[in-house]
Parts: sequence; structure tokens; C-alpha cells
Amino acid sequence: MLALKELLNGKVRFGLIALAVGLVVALTMLMSAMSEGLITGMTGAKGSLKADALVFQGDTQLALERSLLSAESVSAVAESPGVENAYPVGHAMISVAPAAPEEAKASGDGAGGDEASFDARLFGLGGEWEQLPRVEGEAGPPGPGEAIVDVTAQVDGIELGDTVSLTPIGRELTVVGFTENRRYIMVPTFYVDMPTWEDIYLATALGKTAEEASGQGEDLPEGSQQPPAEGISPALGGSASIVAVELSDGVSPAELEGNLGAGFEVATPEDAALAGNGMSVMVLATDGIQWVSLIIGALFIGVFFYITTLHKTGQIAAMKALGASNVYLYRQLLIQIAVLVTVAAAIGMFLSLGAGMSMPPTMAFDPQPVGWGLSLLAVYVMALVGSFFSLHTILRVDPATALDRGEH
Amino acid sequence: MALLEVQAISKRYGEGHTAVTALEQVSFALEAGQLLAVLGPSGSGKTTLLSIIAGLLHPTSGEVRVGGQSVAEAQGGGAAFRRRNVGIVFQDYHLIPYLSARENLLLVPHLDGRVRGEDRARADGLLEEFGLAPRAGHRPPMLSGGERQRVAVARALMNEPQLMLVDEPTSHLDTERGFQVVELLRAQIHGRGTTCVMVTHDERMAAHADQVIRLLDGRVVDRPATGDKDLSG
Ligand SMILES: Nc1ncnc2c1ncn2[C@@H]1O[C@H](COP(=O)(O)OP(=O)(O)O)[C@@H](O)[C@H]1O
Ligand SMILES: [Mg+2]
Repeated sequence: MLALKELLNGKVRFGLIALAVGLVVALTMLMSAMSEGLITGMTGAKGSLKADALVFQGDTQLALERSLLSAESVSAVAESPGVENAYPVGHAMISVAPAAPEEAKASGDGAGGDEASFDARLFGLGGEWEQLPRVEGEAGPPGPGEAIVDVTAQVDGIELGDTVSLTPIGRELTVVGFTENRRYIMVPTFYVDMPTWEDIYLATALGKTAEEASGQGEDLPEGSQQPPAEGISPALGGSASIVAVELSDGVSPAELEGNLGAGFEVATPEDAALAGNGMSVMVLATDGIQWVSLIIGALFIGVFFYITTLHKTGQIAAMKALGASNVYLYRQLLIQIAVLVTVAAAIGMFLSLGAGMSMPPTMAFDPQPVGWGLSLLAVYVMALVGSFFSLHTILRVDPATALDRGEH
Repeated sequence: MALLEVQAISKRYGEGHTAVTALEQVSFALEAGQLLAVLGPSGSGKTTLLSIIAGLLHPTSGEVRVGGQSVAEAQGGGAAFRRRNVGIVFQDYHLIPYLSARENLLLVPHLDGRVRGEDRARADGLLEEFGLAPRAGHRPPMLSGGERQRVAVARALMNEPQLMLVDEPTSHLDTERGFQVVELLRAQIHGRGTTCVMVTHDERMAAHADQVIRLLDGRVVDRPATGDKDLSG
């Protein structure tokens, strides 16, 4: 096989270019896996909610952080025409210390400053617990004060059966199970029942007032008049951040938004996931990087073979004079490109798997066979496009020049 | 009937007042098994003539016939015709550098479809005959100039051509080796009944040929060009 013999003859040259293209392939694969991982890590909790539509408070741009629906709103949504089924979902930001620090509790100071404490997100679910894929722990919903946690929290030392304390609010959660791909904003994510969420949400939202109300406000500055938490809690009872709904057949999220009237925003979980937190820009950026690196890879291959082809126009002319057709010569080139891209793809896959394996699990890395397949396909297609430059040269070479030694 | 008929070939490059007339009304005929030496100084039109006979270049007027068939009318742009009927020895050989001597020979049947057992036997026979058997596995860069040229001649014989075209066979070799190659060529041609057109600027080669024509400025002349010591080919 002529094409392969030529490749083997120029092992170093072809090897280097295969390595260069392999690095580019690795880059696109890493980008694909990381952007997939980034999207799952950023929005898994939101985008994977089992629902046809998510109902947010109006004017919140589909942001969980800003949306708060009162108990009346929640039941209004549930009873709205077109809604088959509904359950409330709560969201809160929390600070977690892996183990309950006994002495801190004893001194009545649950405040942070503990180096081991980390940022986390809390989700309350009002049902549909089977939607959380369970990778560890018992199936079934958690009880009060219990949590199912995204498995990446294990990196922060959280284990099954652990009791973590939430600072500075002094609440505790016992880990009864682990789920996966259900993170939010890349931080460990805890799932609890709605009463537990409500308690923690209120405590977080109202800050230290709960403690102050229970008689620990001695060191408040003179004249400071913060309302006691007890006065507010009843007003917020039964509220949720959003409502996840199952729509009747043929009802669209937009129709539901129309039915609900002002004060609500409705979107599919997928759309909601891409709203806020700069998600749409992030997706654009990672897609952009993938495309740019694919194009660079294609240019590498295209230019490399173009230069190689230009260098051997004499040989091509001789082959043509000996009776080789353009089809034959182009096929040889395509075989070489296919071999090179395949070697490069293998190098790229090897490198990206290696890189992926050495990444901590919290790092967003989620290799998708489909994404990688598409990257590879794109490299092949781009290389094919690059080969057209060489084809142009092959077509142009005049076999008569083989007899000529460039005397003119 | 002559195997090769060259009938009133003219070739003009370019147009208008920049046009160059490379060949003017060149005619000759060759019987099977004959070796023709085309002599002439550099720029006299030798390569142009060879290219036209090979079907690689179209004459401005005139016709070339091989075995009674017009080269210009050969099917497939003449590529198939060349693969089956013509063997070319290029001035700088054009051996494929990444193929061994033997593989360079087998390239000919390869380009014509597939390499059969008989092709391999033929290649080995030619390598043996040309004293290249011990070098069969070597690539051209490892061979001497003389060996390379013998590989090029053997390759041109692979398809058992009716017609062999040889461009400046002595330009890369010293006189002694040059004569050896031409003698080898002549033995092959006579032995096989192949017709050969050999182009050279070296007047001494005339002695080895069955027939000689001399070119000067694209025309056939009947006396050697004088005063032209051009050796560049
Ligand atoms: N492709 C070309 N375009 C224009 N002029 C050419 C071309 N090829 C050859 N010539 C001219 O035709 C003449 C004959 O050239 P050539 O056949 O190469 O002579 P030789 O092989 O005897 O040296 C020269 O004057 C050369 O400059
Ligand atoms: Mg010449």
C-alpha cells in the first residue's frame, strides 16, 4: 500500500503532526467533556428537575436565588388549568461544616470562620423523590433533618451517615444517601424535605434574628431593632422558591404563564437551567472554543498535507506520466489523512481520558460518547475539507512536467 | 507498417509575438525493435518531442501513431495507453523514494490495477538481469546513480511496452557508465522487439543507435550542430 509506505517512511514527520493534531483533538474532547460537566455541575439540580415546566416568581429572570412563592401562590399554581400535577421546590444557600463542632455549640457561637466549612446549596423537594438517582444509601425520601447529597460532596469529606452542621444558623443535617449529577453552581448540593428546607431557609434569610429572639442578643448595638423571627415565620409558612409542574397534554409553558397571569414566570427546566448565572454566555464560550480548536486542527492537517503535496509535485507528475489517475492520487492522500486523523484521535482520546482521570471529581468533567463522537466526526470532516487544497494541486500538476526538469 | 509514426509534428508554446516554436514539421518512422537517437543541443525541442510521443503534450499540428493507433485519440486522456504500451525513463529517473527498487518496479502493475504473481516474477527477472538482485530491497536514496538509472530502465520495461521513451540517459553518469547503460538498453530493445526513442545532447551516443535524427531549433537537420558545447541537456 503506497500511502502507508509513504507514511511509514516519514514516521517522525507524520508522528509529530499526528501528535500536534492529537493535542488539538484532546483539547476539543476536554472542552466537550468539561463544558458538559460544567453545564451539569452548574445546572444539574435545576435542569434535571422532573417537570414539564418550572414556575418562578414574576420578574426574577428564572433565577432560583430570587424567586419566592407564597403558600397561596403555590396552591394557585397547583390548581391552575393545564396543571396535571405540581410539587414545590425550595432553594437556599448554606454554609456547611462537616462535623458538628461540639465546643462551638456549647459556647453558643455557631458562626463560621471554621476553615473546614464550605459553600453549599440546599434544595427542598415537595415530592417526586424517585427522580434523584441513588448511588449510595437507602431509596425513599429523607425524613426531617435528613438529606440526600450530590456525591461530589464526598470530596469535601462528607460520608454516608455523617451529620453536618450548617453555620451560622446552627442547624444539622444527617446524610442518608448520595445522588449524582444533581449539583447546582458547582457546589455540593443537599436535598431535604420541604419543612426542613423552610426552617433552614428562614433561618438563613433572617440571619441571626432567630438566636437573638431566643435571648442571645445581649451584644446587639444599642437601638438596633431587628424583628424576631417568630413574627415572620408564620407569614412564610408553606412557601417555596418555585413550583415544578406536570402539564396536561398539549399545554405549553407559555400557555401556563398566560393562565397564571402577572406575578409568575414559566419555563421548561432545560430553558430555566440556561437562564441566569451567565450560563448562556458560558455555553457560547465553550462551544466557541471547541469550534475554534476543531478549525485549528483541520488547518493543521490541511496545511500539512498541502505543503507535503506541494513538495512532491515532481513525484506526482511522474506518477501521472506513469499512468496514475487523479482519483488514484487523491485516494492515496485521503488514506494518509484518515490514518493520520485516526492516530491523532487515539492520541487525543488517550490524553483527554488521562487528563480527565487526574481531575478531581468536583472538577466538571463529564465525557459524553456523543460529544466525543461528534468532535471526532468534525475533525474527519474538517480534514477532508483541508484535503481539497491538496486536491487542487494534484489536479493542476501536469504530467508533462515529469519529462521537464524545470529548464524554463 | 512502422510501429511508431511521427507525422509533421509542430509545437508552438504561447501565443502572439511571445510564441516559441519548439518543433517545426518533424516527421520520422521507426520499425519495431529499433533504437532511435534524437540528438540536439539544449533547447532544440527534444523533450517536447518526447512528451508529444508519450501523449503528455498535444502537438499544435501533426499526429503521432503507435501501432497504427493515434496517441491523441487514445482513451482516458492517454493514461491507460501509457500504462499498457509506453515505458518512460525520465531524465532524473523519478523513482519513488520511499519504495524499494523492487517496489518501484511493481508500481507499474499496481497503477494498472493489481499486482499478480507473474508481475512479481517479471520484476525479479528484470532485477536479476540488470544486476540489481542484491539491491532489490534498497530504497533509491541508498542506491548509486548507475543503480538508480538501471532501476528506472527496468521499471520502464515492466509493462512490456511497445514503445520506450528515454530522456537524456547519460546526463547524470560519467562517460563509461553512460555507454554501459545505452548498451544495456540496446540489448533489451533488440531482445524484446521494443521500439525506443532516446533523446540526448551527447553526439557520441549516435554510434549506439540504429537510426539518428538531429534537431536544431525544432527542425530536423542532417548534420550535427557545430560550435554548441552545451552539456546541460
Ligand atoms: N512549457 C513551455 N512553455 C514555453 N516554452 C517552452 C516550454 N517548454 C519548452 N519550451 C521552449 O521550447 C524549446 C524547446 O524546449 P525543450 O523541448 O525542452 O528542448 P530540449 O529538451 O532539447 O532542451 C525551448 O526554446 C524552450 O524554451
Ligand atoms: Mg530536455
